[in-house]
Amino acid sequence: MTTHGATPALDRPVPNGWPARAVRSLARAIGLGIPHAHPIPEKETPMNIQNDIQADNGVNVDALLGARDAISGMPEAGLFQWRATCEWQSGTHSRSTIGGFFGLGEEQPRNASFTIDADHPEQFAAGNAGATPVEIVLSALASCLAAGVASVAQNRGIQLRKVTAHVEGDMDMAGILGVDAEVRNGFNDIRVRFEIDADASDADIAAVVAQSQKRSAVFDIITNPSNVSVSVA
Amino acid sequence: MNYRTTVIIGAGQAGLAMSYELAARGIDHVVLERGQIANAWRQDRWDSLRLLTPNWQSRLPGGAYMGDDPDGFSSATDLAARLQGYAGEHKMPVETGIAVGSVVPGPAGYRVHTDAGALDCRNVVIATGACARPSLPALARELPRALPQFTTFDYKRASDLPKGGVLVVGGSATGLQLARELQRSGRQVILSVGEHVRAPRTYRGRDIQWWMDATGRMDDSYTAIDDIARVRRLPSFQLAGGADALDLNAVQSDGVEIVGRLAMIREGSALFSGGLRNHCALADLKLGRLLDGFDAWAEAEGIASALSPANRPSPTALVCEPRLSLRLGSGEIGSVLWATGFRPDHSFLDLPVFDRRGRLVHDGGIITGAPGLYAMGLPFMRRRKSTLIDGAGSDARDLAAHMLAQLTHAHAA
Repeated sequence: MTTHGATPALDRPVPNGWPARAVRSLARAIGLGIPHAHPIPEKETPMNIQNDIQADNGVNVDALLGARDAISGMPEAGLFQWRATCEWQSGTHSRSTIGGFFGLGEEQPRNASFTIDADHPEQFAAGNAGATPVEIVLSALASCLAAGVASVAQNRGIQLRKVTAHVEGDMDMAGILGVDAEVRNGFNDIRVRFEIDADASDADIAAVVAQSQKRSAVFDIITNPSNVSVSVA
Repeated sequence: MNYRTTVIIGAGQAGLAMSYELAARGIDHVVLERGQIANAWRQDRWDSLRLLTPNWQSRLPGGAYMGDDPDGFSSATDLAARLQGYAGEHKMPVETGIAVGSVVPGPAGYRVHTDAGALDCRNVVIATGACARPSLPALARELPRALPQFTTFDYKRASDLPKGGVLVVGGSATGLQLARELQRSGRQVILSVGEHVRAPRTYRGRDIQWWMDATGRMDDSYTAIDDIARVRRLPSFQLAGGADALDLNAVQSDGVEIVGRLAMIREGSALFSGGLRNHCALADLKLGRLLDGFDAWAEAEGIASALSPANRPSPTALVCEPRLSLRLGSGEIGSVLWATGFRPDHSFLDLPVFDRRGRLVHDGGIITGAPGLYAMGLPFMRRRKSTLIDGAGSDARDLAAHMLAQLTHAHAA
């Protein structure tokens, strides 16, 4: 069982998940107390793990599980919309700004916005003012899986010391350059290799990594098709 | 108006076990059956089907398996004959050939409308099974019209399918069994696999069902399971009744091609998930934990040395790089077989007993908000074994006891 101190860590940021403030406001909105401790789901408890280990990976699992319970009772609160606005700068350089989002039934402001620059390297006769969009996709996959690893490990009472994900994506440029119509534009193959230093057996670490894929939005986005519509205002 | 204290709908193992337990308590009842006894076993299954549980495990109340092959796996026909004999031996009040049209509130509690008239009752037991209809994903409607589609209710044998390859969708017991059967019939099978539960037929010389039974896992109560809703949705073990191992490695050695979960039909192509490796990894890890638990139990019981060595099944290996799409009009496949699970059919209940997804709301088979209404045979209804023949007896005993207590209480008041 994961426990926190007397003050529930609701104000700590929750990596890759539910902003703690939003979870709290949701819980308040529907009159639910956020549980300070939550039974660990049966499937997520490998037999050889001591549940009384005080692991702290900086993830507020209680808040996440509280959000899960809250949304089970109020499904519409779980309908979110994420957004980015991208401004072309020059050449292949563009800058995306990411601010608020919609969720929990209302517009959710953020007190900071983030920018991501994308460009192409000099080898493409470009300015190299940022990572390429495809590298940003790889980084998004790794970030999503790493956040999942931290959350699942926390839920299972596994203390992480170091997590590194190396991501590689293979691409044949004959696709995007229009050399060969048989070659796709996107990645042919993506490989993620984790190096994890944690207080757990190899099998338990493998199970954490597998579960993080199972619950990863970016893994799903990359492995399953989505409908995309692009319009001009 | 005819009256019975209790009407049981369905004369399969669940309805008959309930009849046995009601008779034992002197509760007057009738079992209504739309066809013959064990109708679904006779009509709605494929020819080669064998039970996934060994014969010794088909323990009905007052009807243990007495045959000469306790470790064998019955065909559906054999089981139907056995259930017929069970009903006869105990002179159960089964009325066959009566289809229930609806169950509505009535003066005594409920009124059951049938094609042979109406019947009033205090209690209704829904024993029509968890596998009354095939469960199809919404994208089944998006397949090209010209491509023949089959469900496990249409499929009886390989020769029913047109010539050519077959896309089998579903990686549980049914999907793997039929993929193997079709591949061995000379058709190239492409098997689409999502989340699945891998289980060996035997481990350390014992049948998997022996392990599940002996370790007490079959008797796990629904009240002891965290997130029971999730557990109730889990797919079945990848098993076949028989000696052969059935898993993704085995079907690939027969020549079946494995692809990921069917995710979308777009521009005439089926698109498959690229997440197959993780689905295989999850199943292998889960299998490892199951077998670790068995080993620990055997050690604690002091029987480990009497068992065969703990040889683990090989990890799932994908023989070829899984393809991500299949052109449906290319002639590569001539049909699609949906092995995407089963669902109950409770559409005859004209009562407010469903959640927003149309699923029956119940607490261990006692239907919420409808006193006197009970269910049988639903996934993990009261115990892990609730859908098994072996689970019908204990669930029927519990619910019959509840019913008797309610009737006694009402009488006293």
